[in-house]
Amino acid sequence: MGYDAMANNASVPAMSRDFGKKKKANRSAKLKQCKLDARREQWLSQVKNKSCLDGSTEASPTATISQPRMSLPRPDQGVLGIRPRNMNPQLEMEHDGLGLRDSGLDSPVQSPTPGRGEGDDKGGPDDWEAIADALSAAGNHTRITPDAEKITEDSMMNGVEDTRLVAGATKPDANQVTRRAWRPDDAARPHCLPNLSKQRSFPVNIERRFAASGWDPRTIISAPSSCPICVEDFDLTDSSFLPCYCGFRICLFCHKKISEEGDGRCPGCRKKYDRVACTEKIVIAAGLPLPFRFSRSCSMNART
Amino acid sequence: MQASRARLFKEYKEVQREKSADPDIQLVCDDSNIFKWTALIKGPSETPYEGGVFQLAFSIPEQYPLLPPQVRFLTKIFHPNVHFKTGEICLDILKNAWSPAWTLQSVCRAIIALMAHPEPDSPLNCDSGNLLRSGDIRGYQSMARMYTRLAAIPKKG
Repeated sequence: MGYDAMANNASVPAMSRDFGKKKKANRSAKLKQCKLDARREQWLSQVKNKSCLDGSTEASPTATISQPRMSLPRPDQGVLGIRPRNMNPQLEMEHDGLGLRDSGLDSPVQSPTPGRGEGDDKGGPDDWEAIADALSAAGNHTRITPDAEKITEDSMMNGVEDTRLVAGATKPDANQVTRRAWRPDDAARPHCLPNLSKQRSFPVNIERRFAASGWDPRTIISAPSSCPICVEDFDLTDSSFLPCYCGFRICLFCHKKISEEGDGRCPGCRKKYDRVACTEKIVIAAGLPLPFRFSRSCSMNART
Repeated sequence: MQASRARLFKEYKEVQREKSADPDIQLVCDDSNIFKWTALIKGPSETPYEGGVFQLAFSIPEQYPLLPPQVRFLTKIFHPNVHFKTGEICLDILKNAWSPAWTLQSVCRAIIALMAHPEPDSPLNCDSGNLLRSGDIRGYQSMARMYTRLAAIPKKG
C-alpha cells in the first residue's frame, strides 16, 4: 500500500499535465471509484439496503428547514458524503463528469484516476485510497496549496452566497461550487479525516441536490438546539437523530424513554415510532448523517 | 424526576418571559413545589363563560412530560365536559391523546378551546350535555352563564 501510494503520488504531476485526456478517462475512473466506495461503505454503513427509500423520504421535511442549511455550507458535507453514494452511483458519475469539466483544479484525489484510464497506472483504482492518503498528507501542501488557498479564500468569502445561489441551479454548477467549498478541508486536515476527504471528493453534487431539496443534516444542527421534551441541549448524536418522518426531533434519551416507558408515539405527530426501522429511518430521514456518527448513536442508544 | 423538574423549570422561565403573550392565561407555579401549578384563564368571548375568570389546578406527575398533568377546575363551571362537583376535565389531550410536546401553557389553551367548543357526546356533566344534545342551546347557555356569574365573575363592591 505504501509503496503504491508513493508510486502513484509520483505519477500524479505527469498525469495532471494531460488534463485534456483526463476528461475523457474520467468517466471510467469514476466508475471504479464508485465501486471502491461502495465496498468501503459496506462496513461503514449498515443502511445500504435502505437507500432505495431515499427517494420517498426525500420529500417530507424539506421546506421548513431549507434556509438555515444554506448558511452553513461546509461542516456536514462529509456527513452527507456517504449516503448519496451508495444510493445511486450512476447519478454521481454523471454529475461528477460534468463537474470535472467545470473545475480545472480538482481535488488531488482525482488526478491519479485518469491516468489509469490511459493505461499507465494499472494499480490506480485499487490504490485509490492510498493515493488520496499520500496526496493529502504530502502532496497537498507542496503542489496544491496555492490553488487550495485561493479556493479557500474564494469559498470563505463567497461560499455562503455561492451555495445559496447555486443550490437551485444546475448540477454542474453546484458541483463546482461545493467542491470548492469543501476542498480546503483536505489541505487543512488531511490526517484526521482521511475518509471524509475522500468521500467528499465525490458525491458532492448529490449532496448539493439533497441540500436543495431540503435534506441536509445541517438543518439538524442549526434547527433546534435542545430537546423539546427534556429541554436538554442536543449533542452531536442527538442532532443527527431524526426519529420520525414528521421531522419532530427529540434526544435519544427521550426517544428511548418514550419507546419503553411511554406510549411509543412521536410527540410531534402521535404516530407510533417504528421501532425496528427506527435506526435506518434516522439515517435516511436525517439527510444521511455519517455512518460513523450513526453507528455511534446506535450504540449510545443501546447503552443508555 | 430530574427530567421533569428541568422541563418544568424551563416552562416556568418561558411563562415568566412571555407573560404578556397570552393575556387570557396566567400560569402560576406554587412557591414551594414546582409540581403544583395554578392557572387563571379567562372565559372565551361569545360564550356563556365570557367575563369569568376560572381557576385551574395542575398537579404534575413525576414522569411529566411523558404523562399528562392532572388538571381540574377549582372554579365551578357548568360545562358538559367538566365534572360539576370535582372540576375534573374530560379532554383527550389530558388522557390518551397527550403528547410530551404539549406544555402547561398549551394545555390551558386547549381548555379554553374546550370551553368554547363543548363536546356533549362525552359528558361529565350530564345535565349540561343533555341540554346541548337535545338542542336546548338557550337552556345550556343560560345555565352556564348563571354559574359563570355566580362563581367566576369577581363580585363588585
